[in-house]
Amino acid sequence: MEKLRLVRYAAVLAGVLGSTTAMAAPEGVLRVAVGADPATFDPAFNDLPVANAVDLAVLEGLFRLDPKNNIQKNLATDYGFSADGKVFTVKIKTGKKFSNGDPLNAEAVAASFNRLLDEKVGSIYRGLYASLGVAKAVGEDTVEFHMAEPNGHVLMLLANTAASIVNVKAVAQMGAEYGRKPVGSGPYMVEKFIGGESFRLVPNPTYSGDYPATLKAIDFTVAPEDGARMALLETGGVDVVERVPPESMPAINALKTAKVINPPSMFSINMELVLRGPLKDAKVRKALNMAIDRQGMAEGILGGLGTPSVGMVGPGTQDELRRTFPPIKFDPEGAKKLLAEAGYKPGTLQLTMTCPNGRYIKDAQVCQAIAGSFENIGVKATANVVDRGTWSKVVGLDPAQRTDNMGMVGRATAGMDYTLFRLFKSGVGANRTGYSNPKVDDLLAEGRRVTDPAKQKEIYGEVQEIVWNDQPFIFLWYQTQALGVSNKVQGLEVQPNETLVFDKVTLK
Amino acid sequence: MFIPRRLAQALPTLFVVSLLVFFFMDMIPGDPAQMLAGPAATDEEVQSIREFLGLNQPLLTRYGLFLKGLWDPSIATSFRTHRPVAVELAERLPNTLIVAIGGLALGLVVGTVSGVVCALRQGGFAEAIITVLTLTGISMPIYWLGLLCIWFFAVYLGWVPAAGASTPMHFVLPILVVATRPTAMFSRLITASLLEAMSKDYLDTARAKGLSETRVIVSHALRNSLVAAVSVAGVQFGGMLGGSVVTETVFGIPGVGRLLVDAVSRADYPVVQYTILMFAIFFVLINLATDLLTQWLDPRTREERRAA
Repeated sequence: MEKLRLVRYAAVLAGVLGSTTAMAAPEGVLRVAVGADPATFDPAFNDLPVANAVDLAVLEGLFRLDPKNNIQKNLATDYGFSADGKVFTVKIKTGKKFSNGDPLNAEAVAASFNRLLDEKVGSIYRGLYASLGVAKAVGEDTVEFHMAEPNGHVLMLLANTAASIVNVKAVAQMGAEYGRKPVGSGPYMVEKFIGGESFRLVPNPTYSGDYPATLKAIDFTVAPEDGARMALLETGGVDVVERVPPESMPAINALKTAKVINPPSMFSINMELVLRGPLKDAKVRKALNMAIDRQGMAEGILGGLGTPSVGMVGPGTQDELRRTFPPIKFDPEGAKKLLAEAGYKPGTLQLTMTCPNGRYIKDAQVCQAIAGSFENIGVKATANVVDRGTWSKVVGLDPAQRTDNMGMVGRATAGMDYTLFRLFKSGVGANRTGYSNPKVDDLLAEGRRVTDPAKQKEIYGEVQEIVWNDQPFIFLWYQTQALGVSNKVQGLEVQPNETLVFDKVTLK
Repeated sequence: MFIPRRLAQALPTLFVVSLLVFFFMDMIPGDPAQMLAGPAATDEEVQSIREFLGLNQPLLTRYGLFLKGLWDPSIATSFRTHRPVAVELAERLPNTLIVAIGGLALGLVVGTVSGVVCALRQGGFAEAIITVLTLTGISMPIYWLGLLCIWFFAVYLGWVPAAGASTPMHFVLPILVVATRPTAMFSRLITASLLEAMSKDYLDTARAKGLSETRVIVSHALRNSLVAAVSVAGVQFGGMLGGSVVTETVFGIPGVGRLLVDAVSRADYPVVQYTILMFAIFFVLINLATDLLTQWLDPRTREERRAA
């Protein structure tokens, strides 16, 4: 009750300060049960979709992604590159304030970026943003990025929640506590955070902008155990549950009060091959790809929570640059023929794969099924299902040091350049397959330089086609999200990167 | 003298635990920097995070820092949250202790009562029921029983919340569930030792003094039976701390067990190392408490008197 009263005060305050226009006052408390336990909301260190959702509600970036992952202006009003592409200039809204009253001006924006890029801060995203170089404030409303290298994809980077503007002064005062109660300029703020248990967002009374708070509070409960989390929705203890396991979907759909929604996800799940030995042979890679019954596995194992791949990058990665292809046909007989052409008699080819357990939907079972599919075409296959630490170590090894032949990895990364450059450019430290194609290298370098969207579309379209045909991966599927949502919740949207968007949520 | 000496004896044990926990953690596959950086990170990015976390320092230097962190919480910080591990633990420990102590206390009371009933009503209907229930209690894995109870009490009957820890009602189900095992253990233990004690001559002496049968059982027979129960209670309490890893995940309780599970899966070395060390210290203290209680209950185990 005490908490409710506090929220009411906050809401009243918000009403007095915020809604001079005919905006509806925030109403109702949305209760959400999440499976993952966010360690920090500090965008420089957060790596969980749950905390992305909080950052999207509590902080603001120069740009933001809409529920379909399209880029929109947020704090930015105008932007442009210098003629030589070395300086990227952003004009920002004036008169903005952080929730603690500090001004959010060009200086604050530059400070936030320079913190992200500071080696001493140790952000896990420093490398991703390294091309931004140095941020400089010019006057009150202009920020200049003096780029370390030309990057035609800077908008995508800036729209990611990792680039949200943090109040660097508050960070200095609060230290690690900032990760629990970040001071931002978004429509909500974190009222309380009980580690591992719950956190609560309430409207930020000083917010001014296009996405005013619609709810009096958003209550998050952390329930890592699937069954217990589903029970919370079934008992009416919460209004939204994330990560509904396939086996619980019928039970939730049978409820009178709630339904499962299945937004698309950009998580592209693949067996990433180590390109050496037999897997250097394009025929072998093609045969392995043909051995997989994607549709059957997506329905039989994933309970429908997967869509067979039609391109390496998933939907929502950057749809204006994405190209799709006809799905790969399931053809075990054709696969056997190809293997014979490549010179492998049945039983002579042996492959091992490294799989995580509990990281992707039904990952361990999928690996067993894939090993079975390989056996089916006369390839001896071993699925090594390992713990998370071992898995991340193995799939992060340099290809020359790998002793296995492939690893199951899901990719959900912001932007076409980021994904393709890292995975397929020769010699890049994150290229774990050893893929190397001079044509792709040239195209990727060119794609980074050009800023013209039409030209980018052409370049990245070609890269996607070459990669799809070269098959450095056994392409599997894009995961589908599953959330249980009470019938009284309206306007809840979910980005393809699994971030909940509360912009327009209301309760009936 | 007894207590300080026992504590001093525990120091070498704790030192060995600190060595094991530190060096084993280092040997477990998985690189914290790599996990933080994610699968799309380049080698250079991983290297820079490793440097930031201090993982590039020599092993012995890091062990030295680990020991120093016992006195100076500001250097013993979590890789993920950057908050001192002491703060993380202090926040979580009460929840773990509420469930463990609550479960143990409930188990002790219910187990003792049902144990006495069984011993007094041998061959009766009550004994049969209690025997079946205690066997079930000992055999049922906690996580399975927990899920069944969530379904029955939270979903079907709607009496208690399904998961979380924000109100006292949230603790009812977890305490009931973790109490099953100690209840069953105590019940069987008390029955067995009471039956043994009741055939002893000193009870006849007590009866001959004209004491009521209740007095005879409660203050003479039961007191002796409790000696065994106390040593089992110590072991059970330790087991509950370890079991918190499971119960807290099932019931969504933010306790030390959950903290440990999360930290292990994310290779958050400092949190894992200090948490395990703390559990080891608890075990030492629990053993000490058990010994003291036993001495109070059973004068024969008092060293001073024996020496005299």
